[in-house]
Amino acid sequence: MTTRPAFGDFLTAARRHVSAAVAGHQADRSGEHAQEVADSLLHVITVMSRYLQDIAPTPGSMPSRASPPLTAWGQARLTARDALTHAARHLRQHTWVTRAPGVAARSELARQLDATAVALTTGRDLLHTHLARDLHGARQFRSEWGLVVCSPPTEQALLAELAWLAHQIAPACLDVARSASSLDTAAAQRGLRAACGWLQALNGSVQAAHRADPVSVTDRDLLLAIPLNVPLPRPVLDGGEPVASLYDAVITSAERARHAAWVMGAQPAWSPHLTADSLRHVAATSTVTSHHCEILLRSLAARTTGSETATVRASLLRAADAAGRARDGWLHLARALNQVDTDTMRHLAPTAGEAGDLALCTGRLAYADAAWTLSSGPGHQPRPPQDLAPHPADVPQALAAAHHACDAMISQAYAQRERIRTAASADRLLVPTRSLPDSMDIPRPFAPALPDHAHALLSLSQDTAEAAAEASAQAGEAAAAIRAPSRHLTAARVAARVGRDASTSPQRPAASPGPDVTGHPREDPGAVQAALHRLGVNSPDLLQRAADIDRAGAHLILEATGREHQHEPPEAEP
Amino acid sequence: MMDTAQQRLQEADGLAAVLDAAYAAFEGMLSVIYPVQDPASGLFAAFVMAAASAADGRNALALAPSLPGHPLLAVPAEQKPWSGEPPERVAEEVAGLSHLMAERLTRTAASAPDTGDRAACRHAAQSARDICGMLSTGA
Repeated sequence: MTTRPAFGDFLTAARRHVSAAVAGHQADRSGEHAQEVADSLLHVITVMSRYLQDIAPTPGSMPSRASPPLTAWGQARLTARDALTHAARHLRQHTWVTRAPGVAARSELARQLDATAVALTTGRDLLHTHLARDLHGARQFRSEWGLVVCSPPTEQALLAELAWLAHQIAPACLDVARSASSLDTAAAQRGLRAACGWLQALNGSVQAAHRADPVSVTDRDLLLAIPLNVPLPRPVLDGGEPVASLYDAVITSAERARHAAWVMGAQPAWSPHLTADSLRHVAATSTVTSHHCEILLRSLAARTTGSETATVRASLLRAADAAGRARDGWLHLARALNQVDTDTMRHLAPTAGEAGDLALCTGRLAYADAAWTLSSGPGHQPRPPQDLAPHPADVPQALAAAHHACDAMISQAYAQRERIRTAASADRLLVPTRSLPDSMDIPRPFAPALPDHAHALLSLSQDTAEAAAEASAQAGEAAAAIRAPSRHLTAARVAARVGRDASTSPQRPAASPGPDVTGHPREDPGAVQAALHRLGVNSPDLLQRAADIDRAGAHLILEATGREHQHEPPEAEP
Repeated sequence: MMDTAQQRLQEADGLAAVLDAAYAAFEGMLSVIYPVQDPASGLFAAFVMAAASAADGRNALALAPSLPGHPLLAVPAEQKPWSGEPPERVAEEVAGLSHLMAERLTRTAASAPDTGDRAACRHAAQSARDICGMLSTGA
């Protein structure tokens, strides 16, 4: 598999350390010291606060009377951020001894909390490899994952994870706060007690949001799958690889092609990489890749026999049909691009190389010939289904490879459309004058392409992208059904779209879950309403009153947590 | 059509005539390749890549300063661009023509006095070699 670290690696480590902290605390409390535990808890809360700064709305965008009400998750974000601010303030107020860097804590609880903070910090660093700030402080994306990182589904999954950590940590730290105190520990214990109360408040607000609009397993999987933004090494094939290595090569080359397309799609009009040679090469190699995708998907459909996999097989066949349509779209686009040129010639952009690599890698997987290349010539037979996935357990990996390739085709098609649009808007699209009618006597080898040329190319790119998206969506359905490792790709596309919508919305904090058909934020039963349901109460009047009580309770909690410096934090449950 | 293009290229005399014949040959390749780009054929990928190379080669020649502004020989109206030959036969013919073009353009590049003509011929010769490699059965 691709060996890029993912956010899940660090979140899992943080979860493991928290579990170890709780277990260590339950096993032996003798070495625990309030001052030390408070210091370590502050480390964790500090990094959690930074996560919240990344995702919570800024104070300037806080709801006012004129703005629409926040959704459950919007409220949870604000409450969580405030809770962490209060928790950190209490710990700083009452904790004046901090360990020097590099000095290990004495107790297991404190050591594991320190390790949790390190894991969370590293995870946040990983997320930030996809983001940047411009000179004016505006958020910029450094990869195609940037929109996913900042999308509401991912942010909600992240908030739910932070709440889980807070919920696990608080009871153990509260035990330390409530242990026998002495003069030198009393202040630290007060700080710990207050901080734990705020951690429980954080968890409570997130749980309320989760009940109203649950974080799906898919969204959580997507959060865990966010990879480190580093260039992947180019796959080098020597022809002797086992089929499993070819899966990896296809996935790696698809990820490289997707990233190159993302980078090239935003190239300015003057870019020397914007050449017809590149556009043609991408269209030709993507035609071949889409053709390989169709071969692979049909072969996988043939490999999945049996009544229990009928749905998967049907999805694979639909995906193969759509991949065929994408191939036809690419072919028409390639032919249309064969009729144009640009003012910069004989230069291939990096994205053309990546598209060629993907065609090569998918070809090695699709054909029986282990030495197949784009210039191998005719006469190559498809790889038999039994060879494509020798064991049933290989099917998910093989499907992941095909799915990644289909998904990369979407990025390539949209990037192609943007490059054509950019070239046309800058009058850089040309046609050979010899191809024009004799009546047009132009004393130069090339002339500007007519608007119809550009419109036709844009229309073809759009159609191709839509067919590729359909192929990827169908492959994604099959991937979800057999839990192929690529199943997060569909969620990533959805999250990126939601993230794009949210980032362009003037009401970003409220944009996440989306209103229901009545135009009101979605609301699921609260605690009182749920209790009536459990009792079998169906009376609309009683249920409405229960809903009002739930809503009033939620407002009361929000109001209480929002009054900074006026109240002591709520006491946490032991 | 390939026979006509081959004959024109063999008989072309002088730089302008060679450039004109090679340009027309690349155009002719495109018109015979498109109809046989059939996904069901084992030649599909080869034909797709060959068409891109043919367009590359043609566009390279369009930049040659000595290429005449208009075709020296108009395509006869009765000539059909596609004769219904099987893909394998088309591949063979296009590969043969591209082999000849590569040789002729390489020789022309060596003797052309103008730098622009030399560069155009070299680039187009490379495209022709690529096509030959993609469509030759023995490759």
